Amino acid sequence: MKFLTILFLTLGLAACANSPKQSLYEEIGGTSTLDKVYGLAINRIYNDPRLAPHFEGVPKSHLRKMLTEQTCELIGGPCTYSGKSMQEAHQERNVTHAEFYILVEHVQQAMRLIGLTYAQENRLLAALAPLKKDIVYQGE
Amino acid sequence: MITKTALGKTLTAAGLLAFSTQSTATGSALVATGGITSFEGTAGGGITPWALIAGYGSSEEVQGTAALQMLNVGDYQLRTLGAAVGIYDRVELSVQRQDLKIGAGIVSNVFNLLTEGAVSNAPGTSIGQDILGLKVKLLGDAVFEQDSWLPQLSAGLQYKKNRDMNTDLPLVNGAVPIPGVGVPALLGATEDAGTDLYLSATKLWLGGAMGNNLLLNLTARMTKANTFGLLGFESATDDGYELEWEGSAVLLPSPSTAVGAEWRTQSDRLGGLAEEETVTDFFIAYFPDKHWSLTAAYVDLGSLPFESNAHGFYLSVTVNL
Repeated sequence: MKFLTILFLTLGLAACANSPKQSLYEEIGGTSTLDKVYGLAINRIYNDPRLAPHFEGVPKSHLRKMLTEQTCELIGGPCTYSGKSMQEAHQERNVTHAEFYILVEHVQQAMRLIGLTYAQENRLLAALAPLKKDIVYQGE
Repeated sequence: MITKTALGKTLTAAGLLAFSTQSTATGSALVATGGITSFEGTAGGGITPWALIAGYGSSEEVQGTAALQMLNVGDYQLRTLGAAVGIYDRVELSVQRQDLKIGAGIVSNVFNLLTEGAVSNAPGTSIGQDILGLKVKLLGDAVFEQDSWLPQLSAGLQYKKNRDMNTDLPLVNGAVPIPGVGVPALLGATEDAGTDLYLSATKLWLGGAMGNNLLLNLTARMTKANTFGLLGFESATDDGYELEWEGSAVLLPSPSTAVGAEWRTQSDRLGGLAEEETVTDFFIAYFPDKHWSLTAAYVDLGSLPFESNAHGFYLSVTVNL
């Protein structure tokens, strides 16, 4: 059946993508690229009135360092995240799903503006996506 | 008096305002995560429901979609339109109206066969159906649970009411040879309404296919419908539910494009003229932004009465409100 052929082809491609020789961290240009992405993303986030209240009193430079470090570790880079756990960091803020999605869109835009490819963007998001459950609605 | 500069400033401010609110006007969820709208009104692919809830609403938002679909298969033309509302990314309600136009050639052929040649000329007709849909997300997050193989799971139902089960089929001279018998009844259906029950599992793999996003969906449906309900429900010999399987495999080669293939099995309880086969389609969907999407597809319905090779083109537009 035509459909099954397509299904197995796409699954086959998925399997290939799971065995990269180079880590995503190395592929995108390491910490300097992540630092640029988060520098841009954080500017967008702090300028967004829907998100800014969550970051009152958080210095941009600190957030930028933490996000870079955390992402570096998640995508195979030589870093160890030294910040708070996601649950702990978001305990005092009841982050909504809507706010989380808006933040993701800013990070997505930053990745595109810095010049990451669509594939790199997707793989980076895949590494970050599981954090969602420890970020939204951690208050109470 | 409004000076030119003041007017300019006002317009600029209005423009900026429109731009800054753009991303949440249709909901916060990421583009394409609302899927498209199936021809039965439920958010999903083109021919099957997905576990995703219609629209881009997050769990704090209520968002709606409106959609229309057109499918041309030989002497058959299906026109459908409807609307859906996604409530807190948990519940989806939908209404859909379907209208299947059947050409004079097909109706004439049916009469010719049933009257053994006595009647060989009849005008075209149409069959209408209304569908009310309810979908509830049970568990999972198809997009963000990337560290798990668990899909998003939703259960739903589609209440379908055929409006032309008993609509008279007049001949060219206006005479009605079999009063109170419409096309579905003529072909053997015994009920004009039925409720489909389904369970859908949907999973998106971010970067899952050489960096492209990959979505797979599997739907199990319990149904009493003949040809989606357009040819009525049940038959004289079979009034029970049948289990049917539907699936979609979709690749997103860019943030705004999805290409996919789908299939859907059918019960074929009427047989004969109304024989049903597995439906397949290949589609390409374009999501220019979170306001709307456009889908074009090649659909193979297998067989329809007097259209043994029933395939054609499908066009669908979904607008996010």
